[in-house]
Amino acid sequence: MSPLGTMWQIAQREIRERGRSKAYLITTLLTLLLVAGLVVVPGLIGGGTSDYTVGTVGDANDPIVAAAELLGNAGDEPDDEPSIAIESEPFDDRAAAEAALEDGGLDAILVDGHEVVLESVGGFGESAVLSLLQRGAASVELEAIVSESGDAAADVIEVMTSDPLETTTLSGQEAGDESRGAVAYAGLLLLYMAVLLYGTWILSGVTEEKSNQVVEVLLSSIKPWQLLAGKIIGIGLLGMAQFASTIAVALIALRVTGAFELPSLNAATVANLIIWFVLGFLLFAVMFGAAGSLVSRMEEANTVALPMSMTAVAGFFVSISALSDPDGSAALIGTFVPFTAPFVVPVRAALEAIPAWQYMASVVLTVAAIVGLVFVAGRIYAGGLLRYGGRVKVREAWRSSDS
Amino acid sequence: MLQLIDLHKRYGDVVALAGCAFGVDRGRILGFLGPNGAGKTTAMRTVFGLVRPDAGEVTWDGKAITADLKRRFGYMPEQRGLYPKMKAHDQLSYLGRLRGMTGKDAAASADQWLERFGLAERRLDAVETLSHGNQQRVQLAAALVHDPELLVLDEPFSGLDPIAAETMSDILREQAAAGKAVVFSSHQLDLVEDLCEEVAIINDGAIVVEGNVRKLKDAAPIRHLELELDGDVGDLLDTLDGVRQVRYDGHIHTAIIDSETDVRGFLARAHEVGRLRHFSYTTPSLSDLFREAVR
Repeated sequence: MSPLGTMWQIAQREIRERGRSKAYLITTLLTLLLVAGLVVVPGLIGGGTSDYTVGTVGDANDPIVAAAELLGNAGDEPDDEPSIAIESEPFDDRAAAEAALEDGGLDAILVDGHEVVLESVGGFGESAVLSLLQRGAASVELEAIVSESGDAAADVIEVMTSDPLETTTLSGQEAGDESRGAVAYAGLLLLYMAVLLYGTWILSGVTEEKSNQVVEVLLSSIKPWQLLAGKIIGIGLLGMAQFASTIAVALIALRVTGAFELPSLNAATVANLIIWFVLGFLLFAVMFGAAGSLVSRMEEANTVALPMSMTAVAGFFVSISALSDPDGSAALIGTFVPFTAPFVVPVRAALEAIPAWQYMASVVLTVAAIVGLVFVAGRIYAGGLLRYGGRVKVREAWRSSDS
Repeated sequence: MLQLIDLHKRYGDVVALAGCAFGVDRGRILGFLGPNGAGKTTAMRTVFGLVRPDAGEVTWDGKAITADLKRRFGYMPEQRGLYPKMKAHDQLSYLGRLRGMTGKDAAASADQWLERFGLAERRLDAVETLSHGNQQRVQLAAALVHDPELLVLDEPFSGLDPIAAETMSDILREQAAAGKAVVFSSHQLDLVEDLCEEVAIINDGAIVVEGNVRKLKDAAPIRHLELELDGDVGDLLDTLDGVRQVRYDGHIHTAIIDSETDVRGFLARAHEVGRLRHFSYTTPSLSDLFREAVR
């Protein structure tokens, strides 16, 4: 059988045995339910209209409340439910209104169009209603000024809520392309999660083989790199299947509930994300596999995972800085370091802030790093696998092996 | 023919192999003996490239062992191991395929071996649900499933009850009769004596005794003497020359003596001091040879 055929046999066994295991099926099902729940439930309980009740004492309050409501809903599409609704409740005197505020029946009190009374400051609801009323009051005042020159209040509000400046960018992005950043960020977060979650699967899969000692039988017939590569491919495909179905369920749920407007994606963006997802996953999977061969028991597996987890965290942070400053030096260095490139490059590419040569160079460097790591990891793996007992040092594993 | 040629291996300051060399022909069973830590497992692992020797080489029919060649060998490691949650049949069939069998052949062979070990009804049970003895059987089947030309078994008899040990012996004989070369290590020397025509004894990483058991016994410079006397033996035993080891269990004196010792004279003196109830003078047992070799 060809070396690749052997590798595929190993991958197939992983998929068959692991894919049928209760652990896999249950975690997959739970993840799908969780994700669907996370999308659907907020849509049911949240969303819709936020209601506020403002107590009014004295005169000149109603125009402010009306303007505040108008401003709060200024960004809504014509067919949507209004974002906010403010009801005003008149009181005869301030004391009665304050009592009602204390009881929780009111969100705020407006006195004579000059003063706002809140129960406290710093809360979420309070600052929202305060800001609405302030803006409302400002527009009423503005309206009073401009009404002398004959302009209508509605025109004033329209001007105040519009973006009168036309936007162009040096990078050639269209205005409204801000969603690219969000997409890149989402892709980044997914890669980070996948690396840590499925990397741990690979780590424990390798350690498991060592702890039940089947590895010596296997290595009497096949090469360590075939075993390592087969395991990474098998577990990787299972992980990807779980991951892809999770994303699919999330997207379907979003579409069905309409809870969140999805940015439209073009093929280049999707291809960019997928290329780097695969590269990043392989890079870390190889390292996790080698680490797994160093320990004999599952309990020790976490300690050897730390260097990879830290690397992923570092990559994540560099890419966050790349998101805000895609041309900065951190982003530039991160592009050419294979361990951070899978996190940084897709972000820069999504923001169209990376020259083509840098993109290509980074792909080449990362692929080279993966190939190099397969060699290094294969040797550590071979040396580590047949040493039972405590944790094997990387140097020892390297020395005691020849493949 | 399998040949281990002048193998050397060190782990830091520990010398595991120091010029280990022996061979086994097709159709032969070689008992590979040695005290714990003498280098048996290390030597067996070198056959499969699991340990790379610092010097020396392993050959099969005079050729260096390649990845393809390895697939025609069967190995039962000292560290037993199977996938605990995998079905017995699937496990054997998978290992058969890894070694180059077609899916159909591997499945058929897996079933055939399970049948042979009386596990046909448990073929779809997870290995972890089988008894220790049955797991051992599956482990042996894992080494046999692809009909290998060479069998290397590290302590195949350890943990087996006498009946299971008998089955194991039968299978090894069968495999040798079918033209396979068989090497196994063991501490159960009576079993080895019963099963093997040839042995190799390793001590401190080097082979100290190797050859045909019968010839080794005849050529050994020692003899095995057993003696049981009625009455006071006095200092009778002190008059025996060339005693290397002596044990007394309360009834019988068992001694290892030089083969040149004058046993007739001693026998005559023994008659004088007491009634001789039991006397035997034989070539040494394999245990005697072993003890002498590793002393």
